[in-house]
Amino acid sequence: MLAIAPFALFVWASRAFLRYEAPFELRFPWVPWLGVEVGFHVDALALFFLLLITGVGTCVFVYAAGYLGEDPKRRRLFSWLVVFMAAMIGAVAADDLFVLYTFWELTSLASFMLVSYHHESETARRSARQAMLVTFGGGFVLLLGFLVLAGLAGTSSIQGVIAAAPRFAGEPAARFAMFCLFVGAFTKSAQIPFHFWLPDAMAAPTPVSAYLHSATMVKLGVYLLARIEHVFADDWLFGPTLIVVGGTTSAWAMVKTLRERDLKRILAWATVSALGTMMMLIGLPGAEGAMALVAFVLAHALYKAPLFFVAGNVDHCTGTRDIGQLAALARVMPWTAAAALAAALSMGGFPLSFGHFAKELIHIAKRDGDLYTIIGYGSIPVSAITVAVAAIAAVRIFWHRGDGSIPSEMHEAPFSMRIPPLALASLGVLLGLSPHVVDPMLQAAAKCITPDAHLVEIDETRELLGLVPVYALGVIVFASWDRLHEVVAKVKLPSFLLAKTHLEKSQETAVHLASIVTRTIQHGRLRGYAALLFSTMLAALALTLAATLEDGRTLVAHARLGEIDGARIAVLGACVLLVVSAIAMTVLRDTFVLLLVSGLMGLGVALSFLFAGAPDLALTQFIVEVALVVVIASVLLRVRRLGIEHPPTPASPSRLALSLGLGAAVALAIVAASGTGTASTALAEYFGAHSLPDAHGRNVVNVLLVDFRALDTLGEITVLSLAFFATARVFAAFRREEAGR
Amino acid sequence: MILALAVAAGAIVFAGVYLILSRDLLRMVVGVSILGYAANLALLASGRPEPGMKPAIVPEGLEALSSAAADPVPQALVLTSIVIGFALTCFSLVLVLAIQQRTGGADADALREVEPPPTHDHQPALVEEEP
Repeated sequence: MLAIAPFALFVWASRAFLRYEAPFELRFPWVPWLGVEVGFHVDALALFFLLLITGVGTCVFVYAAGYLGEDPKRRRLFSWLVVFMAAMIGAVAADDLFVLYTFWELTSLASFMLVSYHHESETARRSARQAMLVTFGGGFVLLLGFLVLAGLAGTSSIQGVIAAAPRFAGEPAARFAMFCLFVGAFTKSAQIPFHFWLPDAMAAPTPVSAYLHSATMVKLGVYLLARIEHVFADDWLFGPTLIVVGGTTSAWAMVKTLRERDLKRILAWATVSALGTMMMLIGLPGAEGAMALVAFVLAHALYKAPLFFVAGNVDHCTGTRDIGQLAALARVMPWTAAAALAAALSMGGFPLSFGHFAKELIHIAKRDGDLYTIIGYGSIPVSAITVAVAAIAAVRIFWHRGDGSIPSEMHEAPFSMRIPPLALASLGVLLGLSPHVVDPMLQAAAKCITPDAHLVEIDETRELLGLVPVYALGVIVFASWDRLHEVVAKVKLPSFLLAKTHLEKSQETAVHLASIVTRTIQHGRLRGYAALLFSTMLAALALTLAATLEDGRTLVAHARLGEIDGARIAVLGACVLLVVSAIAMTVLRDTFVLLLVSGLMGLGVALSFLFAGAPDLALTQFIVEVALVVVIASVLLRVRRLGIEHPPTPASPSRLALSLGLGAAVALAIVAASGTGTASTALAEYFGAHSLPDAHGRNVVNVLLVDFRALDTLGEITVLSLAFFATARVFAAFRREEAGR
Repeated sequence: MILALAVAAGAIVFAGVYLILSRDLLRMVVGVSILGYAANLALLASGRPEPGMKPAIVPEGLEALSSAAADPVPQALVLTSIVIGFALTCFSLVLVLAIQQRTGGADADALREVEPPPTHDHQPALVEEEP
């Protein structure tokens, strides 16, 4: 049922394509002050990808319904597939660099969630994390490139950037942006040295592999570079970089294919190789490259997705994907075998298939220019191994005799798993029979990449002759696959050459560093935390003081004692009492005396309140001190009973320095605060004037507490009662334990 | 007046910080509690009090506070602070008591149950692994 949504979109996109005349746009502001808007620009290239996303999407949804059956987690898979499809549509339709980036990352996120679908498996979790690290890491570099590009062009609209490209062509910043975009595209499209995540992502369920990791998401990097090719086409590094990276990836992936036994991983490496070819096609000069690219993207989606479906069917029906254990499945699974055969025809580029048409276009594109002839010859082995892989997937496991180790319990896949691969693969063959059906579409899409793209005349005989060595070599590779596999599997590369090792090592280092940092900052020693806290306070106070005490005279002017009268003497006496008791507290041994002195200190504070015009405060302080004595006495009695010693800790120089420094800083800060500027009396005047008329109270402090700040006081009462209840509970528990001894 | 209050507050801060930095839990609590006194004095000082100032009470027959009266705003803040400080001190004292009963000591450095000391290989020491 869920397949209706993508199918409807597919129908809509097809209709839009048939009536296509000019790109249509949709824009609304997003971050106006940065000039970023949610802009969509749907032209032929975007429509082409939309067709791909929705078309393959329809098949994937149908297939997934059969593949998952009654899996309890299937809702999760479908939700993320829908999210992914929406993100993909957004990414190819976006016209704003930052909108594109957002959708780009959303596809990575969906990929992470889908690869980790079997989250109970350690391998799946690790593969998902690895894929996420690589693609998100590349995404950040991509964002950097987008920022530079938007800064250069003065707009973040892709069409705007393309239009502004001649203005900044050749600037070093433009080249920097280009390489940032390369990194982003290479990580997404699994190019060397970021290629390793894609085969590992095969831990995902098969519909996911078919959809994300072969037909659509991994082509996003290709799409991006094709989209902005125009901006960098004049840079002499653009083409060669893509050709070298794409060519190397394409060749290396084929070597890796030979090392695999798992059908899905074999197909994954073939996908990496195909992506490399696509990168190469973008880098090739001339108008034929664009045509070949678009045709190849379509052909690849039409054969690789069904082959993944076939692999899924085989896995589903036999319980294994090891090509060594699979043989002669055609009898049991005739439908799947037919789909595999059709898809493999296209993959191998055999005549009468759409893959053949694409391959011819690729050959023509590569022939353009003498320098690139060598690429044409170099790609013969790559194509040959592709042929062999196609034969493995279609011929070997279905028609080859095999030995006795073939699983005996086999059955054909259910209906919903047979239709999607058959539909896609037969479409690949049908389009191969009459490529002129899609020619206008390809041409329109290619024109968005290179404006002078045009239909290419194909000289059938010449192309077929050129492909003969490929087929011949392919058959040889297929025949000697097992022997080649043994040879290649023995080769071990030094691990420092493998990007995967470095990624894993850096992950370990990150955890290690984090633990060191955590251990240093969060060491678990209470006194250390306190010391850190006070040091920070001291530093902050010292900095503030240094900034405000430039004029030392201000301080001196406010340091006068003034006239001597009774109240002044009383306050001075209270302060002397405070200082003396403070010093005494640092040296006292006995805790009881210590607590008494702390009570004395409260008394001193209360006295200074009393003589500074604050009798309410003094009264409160007295009451609190009395209450505190009761609590302290009861606590101390019990402490005594526990018989625990409370020796004072010997003074260390740093402890003395810190406490003395902070004390001095606080004293200075108080003086400095009262010495700078004039006191604001606005609040005092306001409350003084409104207390009686508004709140009918003469005691302004009381009115403030219970009227103007009543909510504050309510909070205070709440805290007080909470503390009371907590204290009572802890105390009660203490007494129970004591009684139990 | 300000100077006297400042010196007193400075002395209290000195004693409070000194006590908090000791190993004895009880002293730590006392230190926190007297830091509150210093804060109250500093708050009071922000109202620029003068000795013998009249309390912030509107006299009979007048509608508004006279300018010679003390600033009521810091006083209201201090009043809240005293009460909250009292609640805090009581609760911490009882907590210290409970800790002493559980661990049989009052050494702050020995309280490592939640954040155990690091192992030698700098691996994070997991609490779950502790016996």
